[in-house]
Amino acid sequence: MAIHITHLLKRYSKNVVLDHLDLSIKQGSIFGLLGPNGAGKTTLVSILNFLIPKDAGKITILGHDWDKNQKEIKSLCSLVPQSYAFYPTLSAYENLEFFGALHGLKHKDLSRQIAYALEMTALEKYRHKRAESFSGGLKRRLNIAIGLLNNPKILYLDEPTVGIDPQSRHYILNVIKKINQSEGTTIIYTSHYMDEIEYLCDDIAILDHGKIMFHQSKEELMKNDHIATLHLSDESQKEINLYENYDALVDVFCEIKEKSLHVKELQLPKNSLEDLFLSLTKKELRD
Amino acid sequence: MLYHTLKKEFLLILRNQHALIVLFVMPTLFIIIMSLALQNTYANKYDVKLNIGVQSESNASAFGAFMDKLNQNQFFNFRLIENETVIEEALSTKTYDFILSMTPNFMENIVKNEEASIQIISRSDVAYQQVAFLKQFLSLKMAEMVIENFSTVLNLKSATQASFEEKITHTYLLKDNHPTQITSVQHSVPSWLIFSMFFILIPISNTFINEKNFGTMDKLRSMNIPLSGVMLGKFIPYFVMNQLQVFCMLLVGMYLLPLLGGDALVIQGSLFLLMLISAVVSIAAISFALSIATISNSSEMATILGGTSNIMLSALGGIMVPKIVMPKLMQDISEISPMSWALDSFLEVIVNGGSFGDIQHALFKLLTFALCFFSLAYLILKYRRD
Repeated sequence: MAIHITHLLKRYSKNVVLDHLDLSIKQGSIFGLLGPNGAGKTTLVSILNFLIPKDAGKITILGHDWDKNQKEIKSLCSLVPQSYAFYPTLSAYENLEFFGALHGLKHKDLSRQIAYALEMTALEKYRHKRAESFSGGLKRRLNIAIGLLNNPKILYLDEPTVGIDPQSRHYILNVIKKINQSEGTTIIYTSHYMDEIEYLCDDIAILDHGKIMFHQSKEELMKNDHIATLHLSDESQKEINLYENYDALVDVFCEIKEKSLHVKELQLPKNSLEDLFLSLTKKELRD
Repeated sequence: MLYHTLKKEFLLILRNQHALIVLFVMPTLFIIIMSLALQNTYANKYDVKLNIGVQSESNASAFGAFMDKLNQNQFFNFRLIENETVIEEALSTKTYDFILSMTPNFMENIVKNEEASIQIISRSDVAYQQVAFLKQFLSLKMAEMVIENFSTVLNLKSATQASFEEKITHTYLLKDNHPTQITSVQHSVPSWLIFSMFFILIPISNTFINEKNFGTMDKLRSMNIPLSGVMLGKFIPYFVMNQLQVFCMLLVGMYLLPLLGGDALVIQGSLFLLMLISAVVSIAAISFALSIATISNSSEMATILGGTSNIMLSALGGIMVPKIVMPKLMQDISEISPMSWALDSFLEVIVNGGSFGDIQHALFKLLTFALCFFSLAYLILKYRRD
């Protein structure tokens, strides 16, 4: 496991933000964390990155105890915050050079890692331009490039596509996939965009009121997402998985006809992750 | 790591045009303006004389001698005016600062010790000190005329007021009994230098608050960067900037001001002591700036909090108004300002040629001030981290 969390508790005064949360994230996966505003996503990512303390619970990251091995964990992970974590008046290269040096990189290692980060995010031709002159998409890419400098085993991406155009968004999603596939980096991805999570993630969890409301692999989700339920006239019900094909439908309808039953209600599969999200987190507006 | 941290901070400062203006252009302008403005005050010279209109019906020859005597001074310019002159208009148009109206046969009556008087007429906005000085000046000149007349009658050599004045001289005695003339530059350069050194607060707080408000501080905190490294990374570049300010402002005083008609800055004391003072003042200024930056949530808050504090400290500390013109109570209050400690140290070395012993007490107070505010900044940052 990349991350194993048991009974994690975090309170702000009397407000419980993370309520004895249990969560395991597989190594090498892209883990999507969904949740409405105020669900506790940022608090969870902040605790995992030592930005705020926890009140109770146990966290193990890449086999290291969160309470005892802060230094080791920090060197293996990297955070790409939602806001821009760089200096606008410095060029892309100067920013990368500074953050690379903070990771302890020197000389050739530093140059190599900067070149790698620039290449992965396709920022080579902007390397000497000041970050303040970048478009929203380029700024997001620079944010990610800085996060790649230490070759992290776990990369936290907190809503990395906020406020950018569809082309840049598509490019960034592909970069993230590429990082995961080429380096085996575990990606922890938080977003409000369901389509991004569906497209990108192997594992998906929905967090609300400080608890994990739902946690499945995308494969399982897709399977469960394709179950149609028939409520029959004898008060029984039949579930039909439409994930593979529709052959099962034929069998079920033959059986219904043989028993001279009627279909009282047909529940079709949930169409999307968004439906699931809304059904779990309800539809009322959040702060 | 330290090299790249310093490089980053230097680039941030050098690309912040507003900060450079505050750190270098503002003190240069203040030094030039204030040195030239106060030049005569320190040099005991008066370029602008007050214009005094005199209305009199006295005998022309005797009164002419009196007028000549009145004009032998560096403060007033006396001119006879027609009796028909409209006084109100002459004063309101500022043709004259004062009008003197003398009783008929004024000179003759004065010499005979008979009834004679002068009425001083002025606008209501003239300084009381000017009126008092003019009254004193006129009474002295009248006394001189009486004595001269008496001496002439007795055939004695008279001693005029002017010759008495020549017998009174003023000398500034410095260390090693070395006499010199204090100039406005010697006060203006250290004053506005200290003021601008404390304004290092603006770039420090801007960088700090941007790091806090953007994700940069979170990113730094999620990495293995010790807090001491973060603090040192801030401290050193701004310390260097402060020393660059000292160097530039000394050059302004020594070489630029003379070109603009001012006096050149003369440093009586040791350059090493000057460097020591500037180092200590810089440590105090940066520590204060760090604490303001850590408690502020926005650039606006830091600018208001820091800017106001700096202006208050400078007003109290004798930066804006020299302490010598303050009343005793204000001079006592000024002792609470770190800018006052800094200014006293600089003046002790620049003007008096003082030794380490003369400035050690002020330096100790500045270092204590620095330690308090640096600790405050460190504890706030550490508390927020933990």
